[in-house]
Amino acid sequence: MELYDLIFYFFAIVTVVSAFMVVTSKNIVHAGFNLLFTFFGVAGIYVLLGADFIAVVQLLVYVGGILILLLFGIMLTNKITSVELRTGTAHIIPAVIGVGIFWGALTAIVAFKTDWVEVNTASTESTTIIGLGNLLLTDYVLIFELLGILLLVALIGAASFARREIEELKD
Amino acid sequence: MKQYLKNTWEGIWTVLIGMKITFKHLFVPAVTIQYPDVKVPLPERVRNRLYVNMDDCIGCDQCARACPVSCIEIETVKSLPTEDLGKTSNGKKKALWVTKFNIDFAKCCYCQLCVFPCPTECIYMTDIYEFSEFKREGLLYNFSTLTHEEVLEKKANFEKFQAEKEAQKAAEAKAKAEVAAKTKESENKSDTGSNKSENG
Amino acid sequence: MYDFLVDLIGNEIIAAFISAALPVVFIVPFVIFGVLMERKVAGHMQDRLGPMRVGYHGILQTVADFFKLLQKEDIVADGIDKKFFNFAPYLVFAGSYAVYAALPFSSKYIGADIDLGIFYIIAVSGLVVAGILMAGWTSNNKYSLYGALRSAAQIVSYEIPTALIILSMVMLTGTLSLAEMSEMQTAYFWNWNIFGGAEWSFTKLLLIPFMFAGFLLFYISSLAEVNRTPFDMPEAESELVGGYHTEYSGIKFSMFFLAEYANMFAVSALVSVLFFGGYHSPIGYVGNTLGLEALIPFEQVFWFAAKGIFFVFVQMWLRWTLPRVRVDQLMTICWKYLIPYAFLNLLIIGIITLI
Repeated sequence: MELYDLIFYFFAIVTVVSAFMVVTSKNIVHAGFNLLFTFFGVAGIYVLLGADFIAVVQLLVYVGGILILLLFGIMLTNKITSVELRTGTAHIIPAVIGVGIFWGALTAIVAFKTDWVEVNTASTESTTIIGLGNLLLTDYVLIFELLGILLLVALIGAASFARREIEELKD
Repeated sequence: MKQYLKNTWEGIWTVLIGMKITFKHLFVPAVTIQYPDVKVPLPERVRNRLYVNMDDCIGCDQCARACPVSCIEIETVKSLPTEDLGKTSNGKKKALWVTKFNIDFAKCCYCQLCVFPCPTECIYMTDIYEFSEFKREGLLYNFSTLTHEEVLEKKANFEKFQAEKEAQKAAEAKAKAEVAAKTKESENKSDTGSNKSENG
Repeated sequence: MYDFLVDLIGNEIIAAFISAALPVVFIVPFVIFGVLMERKVAGHMQDRLGPMRVGYHGILQTVADFFKLLQKEDIVADGIDKKFFNFAPYLVFAGSYAVYAALPFSSKYIGADIDLGIFYIIAVSGLVVAGILMAGWTSNNKYSLYGALRSAAQIVSYEIPTALIILSMVMLTGTLSLAEMSEMQTAYFWNWNIFGGAEWSFTKLLLIPFMFAGFLLFYISSLAEVNRTPFDMPEAESELVGGYHTEYSGIKFSMFFLAEYANMFAVSALVSVLFFGGYHSPIGYVGNTLGLEALIPFEQVFWFAAKGIFFVFVQMWLRWTLPRVRVDQLMTICWKYLIPYAFLNLLIIGIITLI
């Protein structure tokens, strides 16, 4: 077995098993912690695909940011441990049929409609960051800037929500 | 804005001052005393573990009575007139066998009150303060110089002597009574005189 | 290093494992040394002596402590979420260990010479936060939870000024790779980034004050990121018992300890790479004067470790100088002081770089 196969299977198993745990777990905090391994495994698979920048962003944004925020939210919520999560199966046959059709359609589209490009693995560049940077500031500069403005608006909005009015404080 | 810049400057500057002070202290010789190897010299009148010099003890029990926590326990046996116990260093004659002289340092409060009444200055404070024990029984110090057998012997001796004395006394009393009866018969003397002689 | 090992052993998998395990050879002795240094520095700064009993002047104290920790009972209290409780210390250690993959110890040894170097380091330290939150929550102890929440809030907030300063340095050097960044500051100490970089022009002089400011900002926020005094609220012994590792004992506790000291060295090494020339000697190499090329990598490892340990020493120095700040003061320092200054610094360095 090659080293890359070994690592791939490791990350794949981590991702699939922990994703399964996320949906089946009855404890919402457990689900949150398992989500961490899912994100981590996905980041590992990105690395194996040669998308190292995406992998690091995945770690930075999802593990370092969103997941922490999520856990924070869970932990600061009152009586979170006493909430009964319903994870049992209610209507198993319709669910299987529905998910099966959806999955089949997706797979069919991916398998037959995608215009696959064969890339010689030896010739993949060691990094994607230079290309990404150039693209972001040339072809996609408008989208990039708009996203920046969107984030700024979100930030200001959050700050104004979080800030209590001075009159309120006086009461 | 001015306040903001001032705060920033003060934040940095005060930290630097603090760091200067701690850096100086890095080279100040340590004040630590490496205790078991190096010990602080004790003051002259330090109060620590008691010691009893049994050569000088006359068994007067005054220290035990002075003790506020009753940690001293003394038992004595009278000596026979034939035995010579020697003298204490300040010339007092010893008359008692000290069969038991226990000090329980688990109880002792190191108040030094037992030291002052001692007529021969045989109980005093030493400068030994490291005498911890794993068991509380280990803190019960026995100062008596006599062995268990010797104690039994002294007690037996004394009892024997006492018994002999009693017997002698009884015999004397008997003899006296006889004499008294005789004299009563012959001469009529007062009761008080005879009582006195009996008591004596 | 990996390629060399592949040539040597001939098996990719074994070579990968060996090359991945190499930082342990550095971390464990460093932690043993670092804990002793912490206690010695603490002692001497307070006019004490520190540990003196085990070995000459106590140099074997931490070795003894290490064996003591290994022998200790591994206590798992009732009501603890066992699965994640047992996993959290390893996650925290994995997070701080992963940072070592991108640290250039010398020009010949760097775990993974990826172009994303410093970006990767910022990202994987997120694992530490997740591990700390996990440890705090699963301990089923309010002090642990407080510690974990404070730690997470603190690390997430202070990541912003850290990232901004790193961004300004990336703008200046034009690379994310730590090895390249070190190579740019080669030769003597006046080529270090803190003295404006290797390029001789009038911008070098202009840069110096902003580099110093950047260094200060980065160092302060890195202190908060590794939970060191004055920002050690997560562990605050006097108020939170022990913070998120209150419930841990034995080998798991030592994992937290290892992670903490490994983190301390990692951020110090990062400071030295960003501002102080990384593994490069400030005064030239003995290997060059003697004509022994093979000596240079070892000298570089020495300089790298020396610079790292110096900044670890400064962390300890600060620890025994400053009292702990309050939570609101912590947030004020971050959001009202560090972040605006970091933005300003970023702007100015950007302008100077463009000139």
